[in-house]
Amino acid sequence: MERQDKIRNFCIVAHIDHGKSTLADRLMEYTGTVAKRDMEEQLLDSMDIERERGITIKLTPATMKYEYNGEEYTLNLIDTPGHVDFSYEVSRSLHACEGAILVVDASQGVQAQTLANVYLALDANLEIIPVVNKVDLPSADIAGTKKEIEDIIGIPCDEACEISAKTGLNIQSVLDAVVKYVPSPKGKTDAPLKALIFDSYYDSYKGAVSMVRIFDGEVKVGDEILFMQTNKSFTVTEVGVYKPQAVETGKLSAGDVGYIAASIKTVSDTKVGDTITLKNNPIDKALDGYKEATSVVFCGIFPLDGDKYQELNDALEKLKLNDASIHFQKETSLALGHGFRCGFLGLLHMEIITERLEREFNLDIITTAPSVEYKIWDKKGKEYDVTNPTEMPPIANIDKMEEPVVKMEIITPKDYLGGIMDLCADRRGMYHDMQYIDANRTKLIYTMPLNEIVYDFFDKIKSISKGYASMDYELAGYQESELVKLDILLNGEICDALSIIVHKDKAYPRGRALCERLKTVIPRHLFEIPIQAVIGGKVIARETISAMRKDVLAKCYGGDVTRKRKLLEKQKEGKKRMRRLGSVELPSEAFVTILKLDD
Amino acid sequence: MSENNKSMGLYIHIPFCNKKCDYCDFVSYSMDRKAQQLYLDGLFTEIDMLKNQYIDKTFDSIFIGGGTPSIVYEGFIASLARKLYSSFHFKDKIEFTIEVNPSSFTKEKFFEYVESGVNRISVGVQCLDSKLLANNGRIQSMENIKDTFKILKNSEFPNVNSDVMIGLPGQDAGSVLKTVKFLIKHNVKHISTYSLQLEKHTMLYDKLRRGKIKPVSEKVMLSIYNKVYKLLTRHGFHRYEVSNFAKPGFECRHNKKYWDGTDYLGLGVSAHSFIDGYRYYNTKRLDTYIDHMKEGKSAVYSREYVSIAESRTERIMLSLRTTVGLDLSQFMTDFNEDLLRSKAEQIKKLKDMKMIEIVDGFLRITKDYFYVSNSIIVELL
Repeated sequence: MERQDKIRNFCIVAHIDHGKSTLADRLMEYTGTVAKRDMEEQLLDSMDIERERGITIKLTPATMKYEYNGEEYTLNLIDTPGHVDFSYEVSRSLHACEGAILVVDASQGVQAQTLANVYLALDANLEIIPVVNKVDLPSADIAGTKKEIEDIIGIPCDEACEISAKTGLNIQSVLDAVVKYVPSPKGKTDAPLKALIFDSYYDSYKGAVSMVRIFDGEVKVGDEILFMQTNKSFTVTEVGVYKPQAVETGKLSAGDVGYIAASIKTVSDTKVGDTITLKNNPIDKALDGYKEATSVVFCGIFPLDGDKYQELNDALEKLKLNDASIHFQKETSLALGHGFRCGFLGLLHMEIITERLEREFNLDIITTAPSVEYKIWDKKGKEYDVTNPTEMPPIANIDKMEEPVVKMEIITPKDYLGGIMDLCADRRGMYHDMQYIDANRTKLIYTMPLNEIVYDFFDKIKSISKGYASMDYELAGYQESELVKLDILLNGEICDALSIIVHKDKAYPRGRALCERLKTVIPRHLFEIPIQAVIGGKVIARETISAMRKDVLAKCYGGDVTRKRKLLEKQKEGKKRMRRLGSVELPSEAFVTILKLDD
Repeated sequence: MSENNKSMGLYIHIPFCNKKCDYCDFVSYSMDRKAQQLYLDGLFTEIDMLKNQYIDKTFDSIFIGGGTPSIVYEGFIASLARKLYSSFHFKDKIEFTIEVNPSSFTKEKFFEYVESGVNRISVGVQCLDSKLLANNGRIQSMENIKDTFKILKNSEFPNVNSDVMIGLPGQDAGSVLKTVKFLIKHNVKHISTYSLQLEKHTMLYDKLRRGKIKPVSEKVMLSIYNKVYKLLTRHGFHRYEVSNFAKPGFECRHNKKYWDGTDYLGLGVSAHSFIDGYRYYNTKRLDTYIDHMKEGKSAVYSREYVSIAESRTERIMLSLRTTVGLDLSQFMTDFNEDLLRSKAEQIKKLKDMKMIEIVDGFLRITKDYFYVSNSIIVELL
């Protein structure tokens, strides 16, 4: 048997929370890749944030050995993120595989992202292996779930594995199915090296490391390799596979999934989607690679302490090494000083990146309200791409405005249909279609402005449907719209970092909500602070923060001194974390909480 | 900065109470005579262990606080005072304060105090409304209060302080002013007004957390404080610290030491000392204290060096609580910092808002803004 005949490259796709990472853990445990005692819940989720939130963001490969019919097989699993923000990363990992395990939660059935991800996998010509998970739950409907997979997706489910990733039930059937149904790689070992970078990261010892799928040929330590897009060459210092920790193997051959390190200083040299070949024996044509990830949500990120600008810059560079989908460029705000305008795949992506900046780089940052990219034409016909409210031309000069829209698919049990349709209408959604999935569940299709969903749409859908509805969306171009810039004045001074672009029908309620919210997050000062929401000079809402009346230590004798001193020192530390805008001190939460407006 | 040539203060803690008040977070135990006897023995041992270290120091104030110092058996204070006089070196004229609670204060104890040299008595009045006090867990009757002041008046005791609480849940301005007027009428020379501070680990905090009582609003607290300020000022008192009012010449010498950084020695359970730049904390547990004393071990369970930066913070914090304010040239000498320069921007802002003033080299908070002193102090740290 050929070496490659015993290799299987596959990934797992699923709707968020359907048990993808848990299944990955069980597979590794079952194959002895990781000893049970070393198991940490959800092994492939290497970041703390991933484990805490129970979601997978980064894709991480793992190589497992599995014996089937007396033969040893090498199974390369690439975990994929489940959240809608990260479908870009999903599509990247799909290109490195020949098959995909489709995990569906038996208690929830097919969900919006099940569909979205499975379509991506079908587009990439992958063999799909259906797996019905959580069959141990009392609410599991195995037959119904299988029928849904057949009816909606069109994949036969006679032999679908019925498992519980949590208890480990029938895990072997999944591995057997992978060996049986996922096609083996068909690369040419004797051809020149052709390897696809599906991800890269920075390691402080090895430099920029490329995660690769070898399509043809082989690569070993000492080889001179060429990155075809960047046209740079390096000498390989280390190659290996992930178990799931990096383990050196000295050589990778056609069909393998692993990593290549070559003392590369910058991650930008190891571009995701680039093709690696040998310098002395190159291939003619690079692989297609990937589309650049498009930023959907934009916000300003500023260091709380203006002196930390350079540190923030370095941190963003580092994050970008591991996450090519982050975009950033310099921005200067009157209120917040120097910082960056950053583009993200979605709001969750934005939250994760800001959280990582704070945790992993120990930076205190301020994020401004998220915005989408508007297209604005002035009366001279000039077009502006506006992602920052401060760049919006004066309303009198504007001829036409357009905002991005998405095609939104929501799958919901019919009990919540009314609530969800009300929400969509409230968010300026345009109804297109309603399809019955089964007796109980319905799929809704809407066109919606993107700026109506970037804030809290997902949370809202979840709360209206008690968690039962799911959603997925894709960008669907631009539509004409009437937008206004809403400014916030604090103590009479405009705070540019709080400005937002909203649809004119939403301006009043949002202005009111903003003022109310700011009133709760800005601490009282020694003087009264008016908060005003203004459109083009006209005040549309106002709140007042009354002056502080009492802030005194009652008694302060011998034993109290240290305690009171510490209290004041703490109060002073708190002040340091504030941004001073004129005479008003704003806590960084002021900028964050406006994201969570309920209007 | 501590100055060694200044006379020190001496504090003795009496950790006994009949019942703990709901708002109190001081250390206190309810104990019988035997426990009090053991405690007095403990104090004697602590004094004996420490006296040689203070052979070169002079003291000019004694403060016996609690707990409830008036609760201990007759003869306790006299015996303690004799021990102190024979162990430490005192100036000729010292200030000797004892805190008393009207419910345990008697004529006999009063004479014992006076004979022991006590020349300042601090009466824990808090509030005349017994029902309000009872709701806050303090047992005290109007009869007791009247008796206490009768004893003090009959012997023309000259230097009486009273504590008044502002902001007890359920209290209004009328109730506080009635209390203050009563004290003025009874010739009290010094009044400490405490805005109720909610301390964690108190009954009151717990009641509040569970929504059983409602706190007095800031607005009402401020208006009560201002009314008290006006009333006392009209009657010849002056405010010399946020919470302290006195007739001229009756400022508390002992307490001022806490605010100007003078060294003081604390004895007994949970007492603190500040000596040569170190703060010492005695154990808070009565049983530990007594055990340590029996074994001849120190009562100190922790000590902390107050760094220059911390002592700078303390100086600003403590002196801005006083009406005299912060001595800028002394600050310059002690910390090598010209505050007018280093905090120029903040000082200008606060001056523009009329929250602080600088008079004769002293920076101080203006009279209307004492009640927000924390925010102002924090600006200047």
